Amino acid sequence: MLPSLLLRGVTKTYDPAFPLVLGGIDLAVRQGEMLAIVGGSGCGKSTLLRLIAGLDSPSSGEVLVEGECVRGPHPAIGLVFQEPRLLPWLSVAQNVEFGLQDLPRDESERRGAEALDRVGLTAQAAAWPHQLSGGQAQRAALARALVTRPKVLLLDEPFSALDALTRADLQDHLLDLWGFDRPTLVLVTHDIEEALVLADRVVTLRAHPGRIETEQEVTLPRPRDRDHPAFEVAKRRLRASLNGALTPPQAARSLAS
Amino acid sequence: MPLRLTSRSALGLILPLLLALAWEIAVRSGHAAGRLLPPPTRIWTTLSALARSGDLWPHVAATAGRVGLGFGFGAGAGLVTGLAASWSPLLRRLIDPTLQGLRAVPSLAWVPLFLLWLGIFETAKIALIAVGVFFPVYLGVIGAVLGIDRKIIEVGRIYRLTPLRLARRILLPAILPSLLVALRTGLGLGWMFVVAAEYMGASEGIGYLLVDGQQLGKPDQIIAAILVFALLGKLADGLLVALFKPFLRWQDSYRGG
Repeated sequence: MLPSLLLRGVTKTYDPAFPLVLGGIDLAVRQGEMLAIVGGSGCGKSTLLRLIAGLDSPSSGEVLVEGECVRGPHPAIGLVFQEPRLLPWLSVAQNVEFGLQDLPRDESERRGAEALDRVGLTAQAAAWPHQLSGGQAQRAALARALVTRPKVLLLDEPFSALDALTRADLQDHLLDLWGFDRPTLVLVTHDIEEALVLADRVVTLRAHPGRIETEQEVTLPRPRDRDHPAFEVAKRRLRASLNGALTPPQAARSLAS
Repeated sequence: MPLRLTSRSALGLILPLLLALAWEIAVRSGHAAGRLLPPPTRIWTTLSALARSGDLWPHVAATAGRVGLGFGFGAGAGLVTGLAASWSPLLRRLIDPTLQGLRAVPSLAWVPLFLLWLGIFETAKIALIAVGVFFPVYLGVIGAVLGIDRKIIEVGRIYRLTPLRLARRILLPAILPSLLVALRTGLGLGWMFVVAAEYMGASEGIGYLLVDGQQLGKPDQIIAAILVFALLGKLADGLLVALFKPFLRWQDSYRGG
């Protein structure tokens, strides 16, 4: 079956004088899979996401979404940034409906209301973005990304600006939201726990140049139980491979359990 | 404890009212001559006589008309030039230094030149006002556009907005608050320039009343004219703010009141 997302030999450099930001990424993501990309700061994970989103183009290699080469932002791709980036002059409902401008009015309003209901913001539909809390605003951003029913949803550290409680709450919420249309999900995060709660597969990225260091399937049963001992074991394993990604490259490509 | 709006305005009126009352008493009791600075009652008499006799209104119309036309041309030119200069860095580098140089010329220095080029009638006056209004609007527009949050623009890119749609749905609403400030500044300067324009040769207008009052030794007329200027300026500013209000509703609660 055609992979939802395919990266072949993707490299990125901004200045030839400096080392590659991304040095040859090969990645295939299955339809409906949830992939987490984990790495320390500056390893190029946000750059990678921007390449997939079409906001930037690779220096070499290709990015294919649903079999099509990505040449710019694509209607099948949804994106959630670290900040909500809601437009301050539009109400919450208008923000959520932002990507639906080509639809007839009643259709976009219906889908917008549905999306708001799914993120639990129906009561805030007429509010201004600045009246929302951080968690609410990020939920609105999620609703805005999901309302266009993207095939691929990209999230760039979506919850890192939130407090721990809100973060855990939204992580669970994201899983519920994903359950509706089951898009392919690519989550960039530096939070190991978040990666394990959400992802089917975790990829660690090494910096300078950015390369995939390890890949591991997460075989914990869903719903993921943060307090289960197996979760703790997985966390330690992932942390170890992440620390390995911070040291010079190793021979092993993936860890056996 | 926060004061209600009416209480705050009332507090602001206390000082001028007290001063006016004190001056009135001083003149009436013979302690002050009241020749160079007439008491408030005499100013009021002069003003109401002008209004009732119908003589005031042609002057108001003449001045307001000049400001209106000058503001229209100056703000329009400032808006177009500012937008063009923010859009094209090359254009900005070409024209901005020249415009900054022209801006450095004190307003009154233009008067003899305009009188010579454009004559002593309306054209010269309107041109002078337009020049005065142009610069703050031009600067304000550039500042507004260059100050737009890039992250918000990226939202427009994600949703693949055409340049025209991007301008209409993101750029324009984003610069509206700063644009209003620039226009209010320009309008204020417009009133200042109309005084200069009418001072240098007019047969009607509130500025003409100023000159007439000075030449005939009528300080009450001078002060009455000053008060009319203040009132007209405040009204015009209020009108401008009211025009923008429906588009800036989202800012109201943001300011916390």
